Amino acid sequence: MGTDRILILASAACAYPGADAVGQAHLSYPANTFVLRVPSPVVFPESFYYDSFEKGIGGIIVMSCGVECPYEGAYEKLAARIDRVSLGLKEQGINPRRLKLTSICTVCTKSFLKEVADMNSILAYEGAET
Amino acid sequence: MNSEEVKIGVYICHCGGNISDKVDVEKVAEDAGNLPDVTVSRTYTFMCADPGQELIVEDIEKHGLNRIVVASCSPSLHETTFRSAVVRGGLNQFLYEHVNIREQVSWVHASTGEATAKATTLVRAAIARVRHHEPLSLIRVGATSRALVLGGGVAGLRAALDLAVYGLPVTIVEKSSRLGGQVAEFGTVFPTGESGAELVRTLVRDVSALEEITVLTGARVTGATGYVGNFTVMVEQERGDGSTEDLEIPAGAVIVATGSRPYEPDMGEFGFGQFPEVVTLPDFIQILNETRADGDLTVNGKMIRRAAFIHCVGSRQIEGIQKPKPGRPLNENCSRICCTATLKAESDLIEKFPGVFVYDLYRDIRTYGRNHEEIYERASRDGVSFLCYEPATPPVVTMAAPDDTGNLLITVKDNLTAGMEIEVAVDLVVLAVGMEPADVGPLAESLKLPAGADGFLQEVHPKLRPVEMAVAGVVLAGTCQSPRDIEESCASASAAAVKVAGLLTRGHVDLEPYVARVNADRCEGTGICLSQCEYDGALKIVESVIDGRAIRKAVVNEALCTGCGACVAVCPTRAIDINGWTLDQFEAMVDAMCADPVEVASD
Ligand SMILES: Cc1cc2nc3c(=O)[nH]c(=O)nc-3n(C[C@H](O)[C@H](O)[C@H](O)COP(=O)(O)OP(=O)(O)OC[C@H]3O[C@@H](n4cnc5c(N)ncnc54)[C@H](O)[C@@H]3O)c2cc1C
Ligand code: SF4
Ligand code: SF4
Repeated sequence: MGTDRILILASAACAYPGADAVGQAHLSYPANTFVLRVPSPVVFPESFYYDSFEKGIGGIIVMSCGVECPYEGAYEKLAARIDRVSLGLKEQGINPRRLKLTSICTVCTKSFLKEVADMNSILAYEGAET
Repeated sequence: MNSEEVKIGVYICHCGGNISDKVDVEKVAEDAGNLPDVTVSRTYTFMCADPGQELIVEDIEKHGLNRIVVASCSPSLHETTFRSAVVRGGLNQFLYEHVNIREQVSWVHASTGEATAKATTLVRAAIARVRHHEPLSLIRVGATSRALVLGGGVAGLRAALDLAVYGLPVTIVEKSSRLGGQVAEFGTVFPTGESGAELVRTLVRDVSALEEITVLTGARVTGATGYVGNFTVMVEQERGDGSTEDLEIPAGAVIVATGSRPYEPDMGEFGFGQFPEVVTLPDFIQILNETRADGDLTVNGKMIRRAAFIHCVGSRQIEGIQKPKPGRPLNENCSRICCTATLKAESDLIEKFPGVFVYDLYRDIRTYGRNHEEIYERASRDGVSFLCYEPATPPVVTMAAPDDTGNLLITVKDNLTAGMEIEVAVDLVVLAVGMEPADVGPLAESLKLPAGADGFLQEVHPKLRPVEMAVAGVVLAGTCQSPRDIEESCASASAAAVKVAGLLTRGHVDLEPYVARVNADRCEGTGICLSQCEYDGALKIVESVIDGRAIRKAVVNEALCTGCGACVAVCPTRAIDINGWTLDQFEAMVDAMCADPVEVASD
């Protein structure tokens, strides 16, 4: 395993139930995925992302509610932060595609699977590079 | 964290075999049991069953546990169940951590070895987090003693009457100019044969007699704000002179009873819109009611001698056979009421006009309810001629030849005669249209009410919390949730009323304590957090003078903070956290996820 671990920051109102919906449909995806349930991913400071990569997380998918976010203005702040961290990662020579912001709704099972598959192919590519 | 010795109890659920068929639960429990401060680690067949919950209660008492972790199904199902067990054991409910190893592990991963390794890691992460949990108190806020019922059909009326009996004031907001919904338009209703209009009259009379109930007709919701116990619903009501009046209605809870509407067939679907002799079932019921029995039955000026009813129009749709309407999904479900309603209409027709010959073209007959089967038998006795079609070869409606016995020709491959192609000429085609959800409007958008893939509003769980929505304080009544008959609509309305009464008769509601809190020792009063907070008054900087020096500290107003955490991310000294969701906890979990990988046993 090592750097192929994917951290999923899932909003409690949308993305977490979305991940549950994938399970209820008995669809399948790789087991290198670890979901953290959070009220809103806006809570994480920039340092959280850098530290997580430092600790050995391979990829981070931020699954927010997007425009459906129950909290005023939280999505916009989150998106701006992810943009800044992506630039920072690039400066550090880390592939910014290892961090992805996306919106997942409570029934978005296909999008959930696609995001996980996409991140896994990015990590596989990285793995082949190094 | 408090200084007492941490004693953690860990419970891994088999969920029958739902989890243990994929995850080696004994191995997960063994791994957890070897971690520091884990006093008890066990597995059980069904943790949510009484004996499972009792394990937790007994272990807390016997071993002095002060932190509990349960790895089972999704927290949406049983987090509250296990919290209540923790409370029965004498602990604060927030000293509990839930791990989802069913929906997010055993049901989604193919390999037993990998599923077991992932479950082990997730349990380790939960143990890392639970150490940081602190006792928290629910935030008690006053609740408005009034319920708002949106929609005044039978479900809305039933719910309002029940609430008034519990002594709660109710406001019914009905968009049309009259109460009663669809039922008011039916003649007699199955299975009792009583008059729909009379049923509605009785309900409306009872509603009018109660001073607890205020009725607003010709009224539409334009928006809503607030949360359980304290919603404000904005309503625009038409006045007699054509102008409108804006109202703001405070409500502690909202019952959504917006009902359904009949599916409108597409242009040309079974000849609808193309031939005037093709009508929908609700239209036909009205025509039949309005026609006197001593004359002839005429539709659009033509006398009806033969009629055909086609089932499942707009219901049980199949991808590749039917096309969805723009912006709507296919309706794959059975609308449930149309079979019985169709058979009843057929008998009503024959009994009122004995000369009319009736064909019934069905896919399946689903007279599922109590006493509905009698209606099927009655139609058979009345001489209805049944033809059974396959979904892939639906009946085709065309213009009949001028010398035919009817105006329209129906061609159908009939299963009852070994797939023979049969042609029947008729004067009238009645489409048994299914149910579509009504438009709930701006209330759904403002309060973010979830709907299922079929567009009907969605309950939290069909069995465990069948009338509550995920949005606390909003409950469902009647056919806005799914197709159902009057009896079922009223049953769910009464259930919704009890839920609301239970919530509002206490005069207060307890909110989750997940709001921001400031560590005053760390706070330097920079106020950066304020710049991020979108909620007026949730955060402020308070100045005080200590030892002659002015000290500035951020202070949270718990009733106004929503716990979004926008402030947390920017505090340079990490002085702000969300109760129960601290950055320390998230970091501890990531550490556990990155620790030495769990060995994966080959399958
Ligand atoms: C053809 C047909 C025949 C049927 N026959 C029978 C029968 O014989 N026996 C039986 O038991 N059941 C029968 N049913 C089922 C029955 O009609 C429903 O069970 C019943 O109408 C459900 O009541 P409701 O209050 O949920 O919805 P509705 O009757 O649809 O009432 C909803 C009300 O909400 C209002 N509303 C909608 N949207 C809004 C909004 N956004 N804001 C404010 N107000 C709104 C509507 O104007 C309406 O007054 C039949 C159904 C059909 C289609
Ligand atoms: S109730 Fe009967 S007519 Fe209606 S959708 Fe179900 S099977 Fe078809
Ligand atoms: S958590 Fe959100 S609502 Fe609460 S103080 Fe911080 S920014 Fe404001």
